[in-house]
Amino acid sequence: MAIEDRKKRASLLADKALVIDYKNPQLLKSFLTDRGKIVPARISGVNARQQRQITKAIKRARMLALLPYTVK
Amino acid sequence: MPEVSFGAVRSVSSRQNTQREYETVMILRPGVSKGAILELVSKVQGVFEGQGARLLQLENWGVRTLSYPIKRNKSGVYLYWRFLGGSDVVAEFEFGLRINEHVLRYYTVRTDDDVDPHARPSEITEDLLDAVSEPPPDPEPEVEEQEDTEDSYDDDDQDDQDDDDEGGN
Repeated sequence: MAIEDRKKRASLLADKALVIDYKNPQLLKSFLTDRGKIVPARISGVNARQQRQITKAIKRARMLALLPYTVK
Repeated sequence: MPEVSFGAVRSVSSRQNTQREYETVMILRPGVSKGAILELVSKVQGVFEGQGARLLQLENWGVRTLSYPIKRNKSGVYLYWRFLGGSDVVAEFEFGLRINEHVLRYYTVRTDDDVDPHARPSEITEDLLDAVSEPPPDPEPEVEEQEDTEDSYDDDDQDDQDDDDEGGN
């Protein structure tokens, strides 16, 4: 894996008005890999607090079939 | 102050005479009839009244494609509820959902504590309750698919030209 792939990028959540919510699967999708796994914070560049919120929201959205558990 | 009966919040940490705010998202079978939805709503209203809870908001998100099949259903009707009450309300509400054959899945989240029940207005009206059986007029557009169609259809360009001609005439 090339080193550039792991580089931190500007956060999608720089906009402070953005609320991390399980009812907004479009936003949460950007924190899933194409296989449906949750992207680590070191890759997505979000802070620890946001990562906790994202993780929780994604797991809730998965229960409601708004997001997939896995993508084959 | 008059005696108010509402859904009990039996918690040491909760302030007295307050309620909690909950929200529930539920998935119904895609082929569910309007009558069945209205019946479910009226049943839940009965539960809420009996328990002293209050419905704040009720939305129909329409039929959405599920990310994975649930009981062999690939799509489902989403209903979103927001209400004030206590844990007893949630227990009885969810019991009603569990035995309802149209409900595929439900999920309740506590969104607020120590709510003064008089300070939160309800957006619920009779018209709104009737409207819940109908899906929203504008189903949520799926962005990815739209982009694909814009790129792939050459016909669109021709249509645009036709429009221009008509405008010229």
